[in-house]
Amino acid sequence: MNDKDIKIVSFLCNWCSYGAADLAGVSRMEYPADIRVIRIPCSGRMSPKFVLSAFREGADAVWVSG
Amino acid sequence: MDVNLCVGCGACTEKCPGKFDDGYNADLKQRTAIYVEYPQAVPLKYAINPDVCLKLTKDKCGICEEVCPAKAIDYTQKEERITLNAGSIIFSPGFKPFDPSRFDNYQYANFPNVVTSMEFERILSATGPTMGHVTTFPKLPLNPKKKQDKLLAEKRKDPKKIAWFQCVGSRDINKCDNAYCSSVCCMYAIKEAMIAKEHAGGNLDCSIFFMDMRTPGKEFEKYYENAKKKHGIKFIRSRVHSVTENSETHDLNIRYVDEKGQIINDTFDMIVLSVGLEITQETKEFAQKLGIELTPSGFCKTSSFEPVTSSRDGIYVSGVFNKPKDIPESVLDASAAASAAGDALSAARNTLTKAVEKIPEINVVGDRPKIGVFICDCGSNIKGVVDCAGVTEYAKTLPYVEFADEAMYACSQDAQNKMVEYIKEKNLNRIVVAACTPKTHEPLFQETLTNAGLNKYLFEMTNIRNHNSWVHKSNPEIATQKAKDLVRMAVAKAALAEPLKEEKINVNDTVMVIGGGLAGMTSAKSLALQGYKTHLIEKKDKLGGEAHKLYKTSQGEDVQTHLNELIKEIESNANITVHCNTTLENVDGFVGNFKSTLKTDTTSFALEYGVAVLATGAKALVPTEYEYGNDDRIITSLDLDKMFKENDAKLDQLNSAVFIQCVGSRQPDRPYCSRVCCTHSVDNAIELKKRKPGIDVFILYRDIRTYGERELLYKKARELGVIFIRYDREQKPEVVLDKGKLLVKLNDHVLNQPVEIEADLLTLATALVPRKDEKLANFFKVPLNDEGFFVEKHAKLGPAEFATSGVFVCGSGHYPKPVNEAITQGRAAASRALTLLAKKDNLFTSGTIANVDSMKCSQCGVCVAICPYSAPRFATEGRFAGKAEINAVLCKGCGLCVASCRSGALHLRGFDTHQIFSQIFALGEAV
Repeated sequence: MNDKDIKIVSFLCNWCSYGAADLAGVSRMEYPADIRVIRIPCSGRMSPKFVLSAFREGADAVWVSG
Repeated sequence: MDVNLCVGCGACTEKCPGKFDDGYNADLKQRTAIYVEYPQAVPLKYAINPDVCLKLTKDKCGICEEVCPAKAIDYTQKEERITLNAGSIIFSPGFKPFDPSRFDNYQYANFPNVVTSMEFERILSATGPTMGHVTTFPKLPLNPKKKQDKLLAEKRKDPKKIAWFQCVGSRDINKCDNAYCSSVCCMYAIKEAMIAKEHAGGNLDCSIFFMDMRTPGKEFEKYYENAKKKHGIKFIRSRVHSVTENSETHDLNIRYVDEKGQIINDTFDMIVLSVGLEITQETKEFAQKLGIELTPSGFCKTSSFEPVTSSRDGIYVSGVFNKPKDIPESVLDASAAASAAGDALSAARNTLTKAVEKIPEINVVGDRPKIGVFICDCGSNIKGVVDCAGVTEYAKTLPYVEFADEAMYACSQDAQNKMVEYIKEKNLNRIVVAACTPKTHEPLFQETLTNAGLNKYLFEMTNIRNHNSWVHKSNPEIATQKAKDLVRMAVAKAALAEPLKEEKINVNDTVMVIGGGLAGMTSAKSLALQGYKTHLIEKKDKLGGEAHKLYKTSQGEDVQTHLNELIKEIESNANITVHCNTTLENVDGFVGNFKSTLKTDTTSFALEYGVAVLATGAKALVPTEYEYGNDDRIITSLDLDKMFKENDAKLDQLNSAVFIQCVGSRQPDRPYCSRVCCTHSVDNAIELKKRKPGIDVFILYRDIRTYGERELLYKKARELGVIFIRYDREQKPEVVLDKGKLLVKLNDHVLNQPVEIEADLLTLATALVPRKDEKLANFFKVPLNDEGFFVEKHAKLGPAEFATSGVFVCGSGHYPKPVNEAITQGRAAASRALTLLAKKDNLFTSGTIANVDSMKCSQCGVCVAICPYSAPRFATEGRFAGKAEINAVLCKGCGLCVASCRSGALHLRGFDTHQIFSQIFALGEAV
């Protein structure tokens, strides 16, 4: 796998992890640009279908955080 | 700094040469002269410290003005005087952590590895100077150019052994003047030790040196037991005399006497001083200006019956200034102060409100999406990394995008006005903004949509600043690609957005308070004073509850006088209907619309109400040990109060009185501390000594937990000659009735010898036991903990309410508490209820909630079972009886039911399945 082409689909809870990602920005913490965030209202919103579909679309990893 | 112009980009700090200690990080590092208080600050606006700014001090530099893209820097700002007309004042100035520099025995000022608990707190924090990494020499602002710093930096290591010293600046009149207990340090020391172990790994050796372990808060005792048993934190009952340092390694040597009287030497890598809470001189002077009385320790003087009201009418207080306290109690104080301030001003309510002009909404249902995309440069914050023009051009090529524009600051007033114009001019019906975070800016843009006549839910925001330009600075190309991906995903989702309706919530503004004790009555009184019809339900035949059994408060106020006054006020208030001898039979409905049947001996009646306050209280345990019941000289704390109240002649004949603490508390079957008993016994011991100075009084205890200024009572008791003997749970005192003698035997902790006390009176300080009313808990769908206390919404931030909307909690049913705290929580519950009641005509649900496609519902009931807020239920009537339906008022929009619905019948508006899929598919296009 080419390192540059990694795509991580991240489902972040609006109330915690999404805010944490905001804070990482305010604190200017640099990290690899491989993630694409999808904001969800709660990790309870997460469905296995989303994970499978992300993989089907070519994601290398799926990250659910909440 | 013009806060209206500052966009919080932080460009100004990058080149600022002025430096000063970063107070937020306990001065462990430095910050620039232009700074933001802390990264989470809301609003995120920068400020200049005029004492260190080169422009303001020497008229040099001025670099921030040059680099500020928003032209927000204004060096000419002067201090302004603002006059406000206020009817009530809430004074909440807080505290300062004790400064241990002056203690030469702990050498905080000289030894780099002796730190304060506040510094250690920052060391543990992910946003702190070491990003949560526990390390020695944390105080050094390491400057590689300084030789000394460089040498010390080489010695920096991960500590293997850390010690905490309790009561630094508290319970100490020898080295400082703080006789009081700071109430919070025992718990935070345990917490810090646990987190340090978590961060450093299990092998970190943590020892806490203490005098009495004071964990009388809710769930605190279990936390303490866990720390000991599961996490292996050592608790050493000893006050360490002094600390010396190995000049080579900077390791710290201590010498202390253990409980057996042996002298022990030990070495630690780091020592944390658990510093107490102090009121600053500045606050004391300000209090004097306000004309409010302080206690000798410098805290605000308040009575137990009006615990947030200062000595001056109209000025209310909250937080540590109103006695040392932790987070939940500060939150309760704050709510209570709001209720007290509101009581005084209820006549003026709504006299200064203005109505908002409503703009008619354009109907876009069925229209082809015409999306407008706005890409924000955020000055150079985004544009400095991302090719915003390129992203804008790219956005124009996406499906349904009618229009795309780049804005220097999308959030600025002129950009907002332009957005409204574009919406109208181009007939846009969906808007995407690619800028900062929706968590702070979504409401602003939604308001712009509303102003343009669009439903505010036809909006999607994507974060190309916090999640992109700020964190991928060194990769502009990749960041630009990521911005394009994010915009494409947002456009795909926005195309599927529908206008959503916010349902009006009808609130019945009648209140039901269950429990006529101190807390319940206080709640009812405040709500009634603010104009709401209140029904006070009491199971017994009279109001007052357990308070009838109390003699005096810890501040020496007569409980019965105040209690009777309060009962009189309640009974004469036209807004309050008292229902004694009444029980609750059922509860139907939800926030704003509850309905219950209430039953008395003779009749039953229905009551409709909008909010409920549960104040069911707790009662004293009837002990089953220490020969209780076998001799009338063995009584409980409340029995002794009764003797005091009645001025019982037997009291004068006593020559020896013994108290046994923790009777039924802090043991496996009741693992909580009952909070009130230590102070109660100490107070009663003083009363006995006052009545008859020659009496011998013994208090047999495990830890004396006279938190806050109650510590002064403990001190006074010792001065009066009350003898305190400590015992362990494993070795409880033994009570023997022998030939008419009442003997108490135990092992003395100082002498390490068995002692025998002949007592004329033995008082058992019994646990407070909650009523564990499971029926009531089920009625309102509120949880009880293992011991039967109600579980509040949030242990720290929601201490007077339940997760169930419209239901509030106060009094000892929540956790054992003394008179002043029960009254504070009673007021706090009223205050929280008022936030709902006051919005009666203005309360709406969110638009982003779940709804049911009844045709697809298979009636499996998973949603009904899974929802933590009881929003889904089976419809009982109509065409879809038996199918699930969602109560829009109760739904919080989490989507748990939607994710668990196996029939695809549930939808979450705003985050519907096809919308999230559209984002995933849009992403797939690039993968």
